[in-house]
Amino acid sequence: MKRLTAILAATTCLSGAAFADDERIVVGFATAETGFMQAYDKPAQDAAMIRIAEINAAGGLLGKQIEVVNADTKTDRAEGAKAGLSVIDQGADMVVVSCDYDFGAPAALAAESSGLISFFLCAESIKAGIQGVGPNSFSASVLAAVQGATMAEWAYNKKEARTFYRLLDTWTEYNKGICDGFDWMMPQLADATLVGEDTFLNEDASIAAQITRIKSLPEEPDAIMLCTMMPGAVSAIKQLRAAGINSMILNGSGVDGSYWLSAVPDLSNFFVPVQGSIYGDDPNPDVTAFNAKFKEVTGGDPSTQYTYPGYVMIDVWAKAVERAGTTETSAVVAELEKMNGEPTLFGPRTFTSELHHQNQARYLIVETNAGKPGVVDEWTISAPIPVADLMK
Amino acid sequence: MARPSMLRRTIATPLILSALLVAFALVAWLAGSRPFNQTVIDIFLQVIFVVGLYTFVGNSGVISFGHIAFACLGGYVAAWTTIKPMMKGVSMPGLPDWLMQLEIPFWAAAVAGGGFAAFWALVFGAVLMRLSGIAASIATFAMLAMVNSIYSNWTSVTAATSSVVGIPIVRTVWPYLIAAIIVVFIAWAFAISRYGLALRAARDEPTAAAASGVDIPRVRLIAFVISGAIMGAGGALYAHSIGLVTPDTFYLGLTFTTLSMLVVGGIGSLSGAVLGVLILSSLIQGLRWLEAGVQVGASTIALPGGVQEIALGAVMILILMFRPAGIMGNSELTGRIARTEKPGEPGEN
Repeated sequence: MKRLTAILAATTCLSGAAFADDERIVVGFATAETGFMQAYDKPAQDAAMIRIAEINAAGGLLGKQIEVVNADTKTDRAEGAKAGLSVIDQGADMVVVSCDYDFGAPAALAAESSGLISFFLCAESIKAGIQGVGPNSFSASVLAAVQGATMAEWAYNKKEARTFYRLLDTWTEYNKGICDGFDWMMPQLADATLVGEDTFLNEDASIAAQITRIKSLPEEPDAIMLCTMMPGAVSAIKQLRAAGINSMILNGSGVDGSYWLSAVPDLSNFFVPVQGSIYGDDPNPDVTAFNAKFKEVTGGDPSTQYTYPGYVMIDVWAKAVERAGTTETSAVVAELEKMNGEPTLFGPRTFTSELHHQNQARYLIVETNAGKPGVVDEWTISAPIPVADLMK
Repeated sequence: MARPSMLRRTIATPLILSALLVAFALVAWLAGSRPFNQTVIDIFLQVIFVVGLYTFVGNSGVISFGHIAFACLGGYVAAWTTIKPMMKGVSMPGLPDWLMQLEIPFWAAAVAGGGFAAFWALVFGAVLMRLSGIAASIATFAMLAMVNSIYSNWTSVTAATSSVVGIPIVRTVWPYLIAAIIVVFIAWAFAISRYGLALRAARDEPTAAAASGVDIPRVRLIAFVISGAIMGAGGALYAHSIGLVTPDTFYLGLTFTTLSMLVVGGIGSLSGAVLGVLILSSLIQGLRWLEAGVQVGASTIALPGGVQEIALGAVMILILMFRPAGIMGNSELTGRIARTEKPGEPGEN
């Protein structure tokens, strides 16, 4: 933690109050340092800082050290717009904005109107990019729909799942996104049937009615696609298992992490797609090395996979800047859009002039067995999800 | 000696307040910093909201928790009328055709937002203004909850809880300054009008006012519609200041911020409404700077994150401890405060 603060302090001091000029390369973080979004933004930002420190240690970008400036959005939209303008005034060449589309958009719009690149730290809605901000906006994560599609196809192919049940928590766009991807994949899986579907709300104390409908099916479904997120996810999972439903439960990445598992003791047959493993068993030893480095810098292990997109973000952006030979927006955007299966620590990344997001990605499958999560497989959906299907 | 007319005796108040607002705008313009410019825009928007709230609450004495609902109505009018038709088709496919094709400038959207909000204020007000006291307050709160839940769920027309983006962003401070000044003058003109006086009489002595022929529900309704229009215009301008709207922007958070600014400033005073915003906003901004860190010699001194909210609360408590009726109480800035405070001379009432 101390080291990270030192890096931050050093880079912030260097940047001073001077205006943008071509002599400096500045990354501006208009992210939440206070408020509930901080829990999402901070780990990804720490990971981004690690990548920046690595690049600087290796001689910098275009021969210059990357500098960092910050502004707090206070998890507030109006403050977000100010934070965006603030880092732009401090000379940012690229503006990093909050994880969530709703909270990151005001700062991203400020960057867009100043003709600068913006990157959402880990937003998983298609709107976090061209569709919801403009042609210079990107997201560092993978679309929620890919998570639902990945789980459906993987369970069908590797776990012989044929009967599926779809349980959607209508609270957020993210949840709906997971189920949209699942819905897109289902018709492509021959002889797979959707035996039922239901919705609930994250804040519902009881999903007894939904459980009764699952229990009254002639046969227990092979798999339940559970499109939800924290904090309601824990209660839903607990109630499903307590009711004696033992079907495999498929999820989005939002429930990754072991911090909540003690609430559902001995959870089994539970599957989560992740971009990289926080459990020390990633097939790529470099990820485990990154985890160790993260712990060294911040004093704790990554708590969920949402730490990783921050690292990917700086990685792909720096590569594009290197190739363009400048930080000038249109040149860097053009280089980013040329990336097709660009290797990163957490799987290949592709950007096109139509989509600044991942509509196909390699996911590791984490299985929780008797309360212990671990990587059991990896899967990439057989075809990218068409943009038209993502926009509905 | 003939008493000078009401207009001449009170015109100093809106002029002084406008001068204060112009001073803020000039500081923003001279500072040349975009985040600071945005902060001043925010302050002007708060001025519009709080003055809108004052127009009803200050004159009628009925606390309204529902006025931010009108800002919500206005904000969405800006979204409906200024976003490019192609983008509207994607996010709000349920809009009628004529609205879908409409693309008007931001100031027209502000006027339309005000008009739309005024219409609904008339509809709601026709029922609500018959209530008094806490019943009226709770009923306005119910109206806020109602509008919020309609706008949070009507997916095809309001995009439900998703952010509606694509509203053209206006980042110069002048339109907001002009709007704030116009609003101050409207509030002042209403307060000194026949209806404003009748409403204040009804606030202070309802029985006597009714006996003197004041139709209380009617004068309240007039204030409600005017203040609804101001809030609606403010909501539309708010949408243009950050480029997006969501229903939860216009809910409890903004309701209580604006109400507390009004209470701290002085609930029955137009000067209080404006000063409440200016003083509290300056305080918030000052504390934010301290949170971000101030360079002192070679070292940076910074308050821990979150201190701003705590300090703001403490200051508000202190102000209300020493001035329970708010900074201004019921008095207005008239430019003659020094004289009225001299002992032995009659006050300006």
